[in-house]
Amino acid sequence: MHAAPSAAERGLAASPRGRGLVGVRVSPPVTPLLSLRGIGMSYGAVTALRDVDFDIGAGEVVALCGDNGAGKSSLVKILAGAQAPTAGSIALDGANEKFRDPQDALRKGIATIYQDLAVAPRLSIWQNVFLGSELTRPPFGLLDKRRMAEMSRGFLARLAVDIADMETPVERLSGGQRQAVAICRALRWDARIIIMDEPTAALGVKETAQVLELIRRLQAEKHTVILVSHAMQDVVAVADRVVILRGGRKVQDRPVAGLTAGDLAAMIMQRAA
Amino acid sequence: MTRRILARYGTALAGVGLFAIFAVTSPVFLTPDNIALILKETAFLGILAIGFTLALVTAEIDLSVAEVASLAAVVTGALVHGGTDPWIAIAAGLAVGTLCGAANGVAVTVLNVPSLIATLGVAAIAKGLSFMLTQGVAFVGRWPASFTGLARGTLLGVPNLIWWLAGIGFAAWLLVKWTRLGAHLVATGEADEAARLAGIRTRSMKRLALTLAGACAGLTAVLLASSLSSAAPAMANDHFLYAIAAVLLGMSMFEPGRPNIPGTLFAAFTLKVLGNGLVLLGAEYYWQDIILGTIILLSVALSATGTGKAPFVKKLNVRR
Repeated sequence: MHAAPSAAERGLAASPRGRGLVGVRVSPPVTPLLSLRGIGMSYGAVTALRDVDFDIGAGEVVALCGDNGAGKSSLVKILAGAQAPTAGSIALDGANEKFRDPQDALRKGIATIYQDLAVAPRLSIWQNVFLGSELTRPPFGLLDKRRMAEMSRGFLARLAVDIADMETPVERLSGGQRQAVAICRALRWDARIIIMDEPTAALGVKETAQVLELIRRLQAEKHTVILVSHAMQDVVAVADRVVILRGGRKVQDRPVAGLTAGDLAAMIMQRAA
Repeated sequence: MTRRILARYGTALAGVGLFAIFAVTSPVFLTPDNIALILKETAFLGILAIGFTLALVTAEIDLSVAEVASLAAVVTGALVHGGTDPWIAIAAGLAVGTLCGAANGVAVTVLNVPSLIATLGVAAIAKGLSFMLTQGVAFVGRWPASFTGLARGTLLGVPNLIWWLAGIGFAAWLLVKWTRLGAHLVATGEADEAARLAGIRTRSMKRLALTLAGACAGLTAVLLASSLSSAAPAMANDHFLYAIAAVLLGMSMFEPGRPNIPGTLFAAFTLKVLGNGLVLLGAEYYWQDIILGTIILLSVALSATGTGKAPFVKKLNVRR
């Protein structure tokens, strides 16, 4: 892993740096890559999300935060194509989209990396990167293992992760390296939007730094990242913007610049007036 | 490095050692007839065990293979015995096996019955049907050469049974190791949820694997009936524990901790070498069962250790 670039290198110096918890208005990106409008999700009598809307621009890192039960998981499932919203619409590049299943969302450019990484621990790196979308070669349509291994190495190189043997089972990798493999699967699909669900949960300090560096590299490659996290220091470290949910509603949507982890925690805990 | 080599090839080397011991201690063991006998016996066991392996690749356990094979043999035998065209009888035997496998697949993936229970249920049904069809009396007779030649004939001087084993073994290996479908079967067994999230139809994969296990049982049945010119209920039951032992022992070699076709085939051969060698050395018959049971216990114990438990071991909730 390379050393983390400074805030200026990441372009944060030019960001608005207003302090305080109220009074900041956010202009939506000029050309939203992803637009949510009036998203609602009900499970019988329980309403998990109501009237949530926000825009995300290309290359943004947006943190999705909130306490347990705030509606983050429901929103992630909707974006990942794992469930359909009961209200509202999703637009990609201005065109309304409905995701039939996770594979459909993936094909349309949204990849989700779940908290447990959704990797097959005993399978090799290349097998995990190409899980469900293996490459074959003519004339017999047999697996092109060499090409998949080479491509996996290339994806990892893009993330500045150095692993010598692509046959290494994922269970032998560190937490940070496993995240990298999961991200490589998103890169293999050329996903424009990568949703990372609690990527640093259960990771040590060093591995967390590696994962944050991976997110910076994704942003440098113009990928949009939606970071779902309870780790406020991570949000402050890498996110451009934070969207806070409370009780299924969006209560904040503002730049992260100028905020501290403590500020964010206070915003999440703050009771609605 | 040495440890890695031992983990991969240690059991296989032990099998080679066993072969060498019998070769030295028994004057009959290395004769061409005896080796051919071992290979033919390996064919029945190997094909049945390949089916069991395919099911286990998707982390499902098929305990019905032997009873299904017996039922398929009885159906085939009844038709041949009754004068039906042998090719129709063969197709019927294969169909019975395949349908039973499909029934296992539906029970597991549609009715959500754990494979351990579902396949026991299908085994019991198959056993009942076998006795119903035969009334407990075996079909025996002088059956057409076009049927018996399937197992007893030779091609290029090599017994057909060995060709059958080689063909099915190669096809299964190719499927699992070199095809996209095989990769999906493996992914389903290794990490069901991860595979599903990656877009793999995991339930279809399990249905397919169990159906293929049934088809292998059907083929074993046809070959058994062809070889023996007879068909009786429970005729394949002797192969049941051997098949399990072959698959589990196979998981301790080549790809440790994973059901794999080369391991299954080598283990099937080793088990038949063991049985044959013990008979030649005059050992009492019960020693085979004692050794077989020990192999099964040790193999599962091995699968429950190492860097990652085999998924089927996790399903069985074997704790370390």
